[in-house]
Amino acid sequence: MKKYWKSQHEKNESSEAKITKHTPKGNLEQVLDIFEDGTAEAKSNRRDFLKLCGYSLAITTVLSSCENTVQKAIPYLNKPEEITPGIANYYASTYMNASDYASILIKTREGRPIKIEGNNLSPISNGACSARVQASVLSLYDNSRYQSPQIEKEKVSWDKFDDSILKALDSQKENKIALLTPTIFSPSTRKAIKYFTDAYPNIKWIQYDTQSASAILQAQKLCFGKDGLPDYRFNKANLIVSFDADFLGTWLNPSEYIKTYTDTRKLSGSLNKMSRHIQFESRMSLTGSNADERHAIKPSELNLLIAQLYNEIVILKGQQKHDVPEATKIIKELAKDLLEQKSHSVVVSGSQELNAQILINAINYELENFNSSINLENPLLNHQAIDEDMDQLIDNLASGQVKGLICYHTNPVYSHPKGEKIKKAIESLSFSLSIHETPNETSSLMKYIAPDNHYLESWNDAEIKKDSYSLMQPAIHPLFDTRQFQASLLKWSGQDVDYHKFIMKHWEETLFPSQTLYTNFKSYWEHTLQEGIFQTKTVSGNKLKFAELDIIKILEAITQKKKTNRIELQIYEKVTIGDGSMANNPWLQEMPDPISKICWDNYLNISPKQAKELGLETGNMIKLNGDLELPVYILPGQAYNTVSIAMGYGRTICGKVGKDVGFKASHLNTNQHSSVTLEKIEGHFDFAMTQTHHSMEGRAIVREANLDEYQKNPKAGNDHKHEYKNAGIYKEPEFPNHHWGLAIDLNACVGCGACTIACQAENNVPIVGKKEVIRAHEMSWIRIDRYFSGDENEPGVVFQPVMCQHCDNAPCENVCPVAATNHSSEGLNQMIYNRCIGTRYCGNNCPYKVRRFNWFDYTQADSIPNNLHDPTGMTLDLSRMVLNPDVTIRAKGVIEKCSMCVQRIQEGKLNAKLEGRKVKDGDIKTACQQTCPSGAILFGDLNDKGSDLFKLASSDRNYHLLEEIHTLPSVSYLTKIRNKKS
Amino acid sequence: MSKLCLFFSIVFFLLTTSPSFSENQNTQNHDKSDHNFLESSKRGERLFKGLVLTKTKLKACVSCHNISFSDTLNWNPSAWDIAHSFSSKEISDFNSILNAPIAKVMSKVHAGYAYNDEELKHIKNYLVKLKEYGTQEQKPVVNNLILFLFLGLLITLALIDLFFTKKIKYKFITILIFFLALGYQIKMLSEDAMALGRNENYAPDQPIKFSHKVHATDNKIDCRYCHTGVDNSKSAVIPSANVCLNCHSIVREGRNSGKFEINKIHAAIENNKPIEWIRVHKLPDHVFFSHAQHVNVGKRECQECHGEVEKMHIVKQVEDLSMGWCLDCHDKTAVDFNTNNYYSNTFKKLHLKIVKEQIDSVRVKDIGGRECARCHY
Repeated sequence: MKKYWKSQHEKNESSEAKITKHTPKGNLEQVLDIFEDGTAEAKSNRRDFLKLCGYSLAITTVLSSCENTVQKAIPYLNKPEEITPGIANYYASTYMNASDYASILIKTREGRPIKIEGNNLSPISNGACSARVQASVLSLYDNSRYQSPQIEKEKVSWDKFDDSILKALDSQKENKIALLTPTIFSPSTRKAIKYFTDAYPNIKWIQYDTQSASAILQAQKLCFGKDGLPDYRFNKANLIVSFDADFLGTWLNPSEYIKTYTDTRKLSGSLNKMSRHIQFESRMSLTGSNADERHAIKPSELNLLIAQLYNEIVILKGQQKHDVPEATKIIKELAKDLLEQKSHSVVVSGSQELNAQILINAINYELENFNSSINLENPLLNHQAIDEDMDQLIDNLASGQVKGLICYHTNPVYSHPKGEKIKKAIESLSFSLSIHETPNETSSLMKYIAPDNHYLESWNDAEIKKDSYSLMQPAIHPLFDTRQFQASLLKWSGQDVDYHKFIMKHWEETLFPSQTLYTNFKSYWEHTLQEGIFQTKTVSGNKLKFAELDIIKILEAITQKKKTNRIELQIYEKVTIGDGSMANNPWLQEMPDPISKICWDNYLNISPKQAKELGLETGNMIKLNGDLELPVYILPGQAYNTVSIAMGYGRTICGKVGKDVGFKASHLNTNQHSSVTLEKIEGHFDFAMTQTHHSMEGRAIVREANLDEYQKNPKAGNDHKHEYKNAGIYKEPEFPNHHWGLAIDLNACVGCGACTIACQAENNVPIVGKKEVIRAHEMSWIRIDRYFSGDENEPGVVFQPVMCQHCDNAPCENVCPVAATNHSSEGLNQMIYNRCIGTRYCGNNCPYKVRRFNWFDYTQADSIPNNLHDPTGMTLDLSRMVLNPDVTIRAKGVIEKCSMCVQRIQEGKLNAKLEGRKVKDGDIKTACQQTCPSGAILFGDLNDKGSDLFKLASSDRNYHLLEEIHTLPSVSYLTKIRNKKS
Repeated sequence: MSKLCLFFSIVFFLLTTSPSFSENQNTQNHDKSDHNFLESSKRGERLFKGLVLTKTKLKACVSCHNISFSDTLNWNPSAWDIAHSFSSKEISDFNSILNAPIAKVMSKVHAGYAYNDEELKHIKNYLVKLKEYGTQEQKPVVNNLILFLFLGLLITLALIDLFFTKKIKYKFITILIFFLALGYQIKMLSEDAMALGRNENYAPDQPIKFSHKVHATDNKIDCRYCHTGVDNSKSAVIPSANVCLNCHSIVREGRNSGKFEINKIHAAIENNKPIEWIRVHKLPDHVFFSHAQHVNVGKRECQECHGEVEKMHIVKQVEDLSMGWCLDCHDKTAVDFNTNNYYSNTFKKLHLKIVKEQIDSVRVKDIGGRECARCHY
């Protein structure tokens, strides 16, 4: 009954169509719908049942006689030399968006970017990528992107568009126009902007950052006369004090800070010293959750604490004491400790107030931290916007002084607190142009839309810190009819150059002469492009001098502010969604927040004490300030009388995924400690929470000890060892060649969640949507468990990444009736999707709960159409371009779980075989390990006695999850050591 | 009753989804189109098939240019192919190509043909029609589907007789008929189910009549010259058109096919349209197979899996590429412990055994070659 194509005609025309087209909804869909809604609205009766039986029998008959589809093999017409189908190419590039900067390698297969890896050569990002960098590759394949230039919502060609823009710019010569961009730290882009503003002197360039560092910038200027942000070196500090700076989460340059922060906190071998970290904050941030000591305070108390600390340090140094209220014991002791660690400490603050930042500078100056643990020679350049410029612009727009606005990659109508005012102003502008990739609240109001390339389609350069450069290169031809911002600027300013050539010329003129390694520019350029980064030598400046400022006046201004008992509101950025510019990225939307473990939403964080007072529970609704209705999440560690809410949600104009997810909060962000009123109202809100059980049930799942205990006994906290000999009823397996394993250092893991997105990208892990997450159907192969300990108002927090433990005595393997999961001779717990029949016995028997079941067809891998459950459009042809071709996509009804990146293991082994050598330690890296900014995850061969993994596995801190049930996992953990003062 | 219902529903389902049905409707539809054109094309068809006498009395077109799928190699372009290349050309061009070709091969075989302009017009119209509607469906043969349905009918009749009409006296006859028919149906189903997704002996017509025999045997071109990925990549790589042009920018006319087939490569380059080959050897999506592992590391010859491709004009899949077939080979094949240091350095115990001559060789299965996650992930 086999049937091939009947004619050449059919072969060419209809075979493809047959594969993609679906038959209309049948009865199967109806039955699924019943499950879907939980209600049996669609009545099924005996007739339907019989029909279904008939159909299913018919389907089996048809399936068993179905045609083998004709597959085509279409080679390149003219194959590029560097591409070999089946082998990945890597291109060095740079990611930069708001606080995220990373020097990256773009992994492409057959010309498609499919994964972002960190570039190990970069001294700044150090091979790390944050979750957002990992997720950025999916934004390339975003269906909602602008696909051609538009004038008043009419699609036009670029030629026509350029004509209109040039005409419009000419006619506006008399009017003031503003060019609004985020901070631009690309030297070539700055040059292009200069060309543009030179050609049109009526255009003024203004930078605007959603997460402003304006106060620090101004403080630097005032105190030291320097531009840029200080380069904090947490790895050179023994004592870190942070006043509400979430430097591991979202503040300034978190990927780098995670690396430098954890460098001094990894205890291995002879090293038994680690830094101490003290955090003052109101909301439990990612940074606060990692602190050794955390003090919950109200935002309004922040400045006073800083002033008191300054005063105490000054007193201890024997200088003139200031008129500041008596400090608490905590601050007094802190001052003492800081002076002990002179020039080896860092004091930072996320405060948006200039006075506070001046005092922070003064404190660090008194502690002699500058030019040791805080470097001012190579300032960080990724935040340069000054708030006053933006405020001025908004006033000018509103008053009609500025008659035109060009917005590049910013969305002030959504993200700025005065968004409504900007919106009104834009509507009356005579010239408005948006240069952005995707539609947003601002661009939708603009007359002209010049779609920008995605960064994976663009050329650019970056100077993240002074003298540290990196290049951005395209890895794919623009998917749509778009043009990058810089090319547009050059075109409009009459420069007839390609932006690629423009960058090369700029580098040839400025950077090429600064090196001596290469004598000709071409080889220099190619080498730099290949490595992705370039460093020039830093010329040391003059000795640092603190400007003579009236500190007394500053202290006075701070101390005069009266304490209040009102409830204060703080707006923050989530580690996942950030400022909301990536809201349409389903990977980020479904990534749980590190602390609350809630995805697909934002909420009002409230302290446990306050919740009790107001009779609130997580999921209750509240009325904020009498108008905004919000769901409540009780956040342990939130300071009493404070509430907080994340920005980046409640987008009204964006793609399908991010639209109307959560609640808009940016308009509440007035930068002052705004007081709010809370009122409980009726209603309940369902959170998509991935961890609802927070107790370890008395088992030593996370083992921790304090540093002093560890120094006395390296086995501290890890003394309940359960080791059995011949305990199982099965023979213990042997591993004749490799025994792959992972070690996870709980002391290094900060819980940022970059690994979860890296895993998702590498292993084609599907997105299930909010509704399914609520039903605990999320698919992530690696999750980060978060446990609170101690008092709920001042809790200790630990993070623990959990993936399949690859047990050598695996409970899942014994119960599978079809042997779809079994053990390999290399120690892997193998999962074979095509053998799985979906009994879910393995999932039920897994003590670690790491097995995930495909309740629906999330990936369109099912042979029967209409089983599809794809709320986010991940099965569109465009989105599917992101899939890793080396990993099978799973169909409905099968279990899946972490494979320890077996595709990477096989690739590493194959490379070793091709070269006829052993697999070297470090050859193979799992996706989670590769991206981890802190290097908390280590993959290796336990059979290799010289491997780094073996060293960790035999360390005193090493333990296994649930040792007592004798599962013999290949994944092990290292105890968490805190550095609390004893 | 319910069983009867089921069977009718199957029969109904199969009938409505049967592809031959919808095909018929198509042909009826285009019968209504332009009358004159159709008459001309009908005449053309007769000319093409040699049903009308012509002055030349030479062989009819159809004897060389087949109009339906054939599984034996015919070097001459099919009618469908010709239709695609020449339907857009002027009659005068068509005339010169058909009646007085210049190319070596064609001038020999087309010698003596002298169709007049009107005849050419008819033939051309026929070809245009062919291009538009595809070749005519061959008469349906009694295939397994009809047999299956017939058996279903037998079962139904047997059941009806057994319970209602009771025409046959000896019940065992009806019961025998019932079980035999059902048994045969089950056999058909299970055989088909086993063959599902397997394509042994699959040998589709390719868009270009590329012969591995001509290239690999007659012209002694190494497999790796074109299949460049085989040593390093998981895929052996089907050569891109520019690889073809390495030779065919000079070799413009083939010994067997003349210029017609080679011109397709040039046309592809000129039109910037890649050649769409029909894939012969395909593994399911859930199988990872690496040529580099098998050819470079395992030192397997291409022929072990692909058969003697160098002797094939049309590539045929000679093995069923089933998992059993894979594992058979993994069970038998010895691993290269002598020259590849990966194996000798990693499997130290096994290596020692070989050195001590306790075992003579290590098979793939001994080093985990039967484990699932070697190929499925």
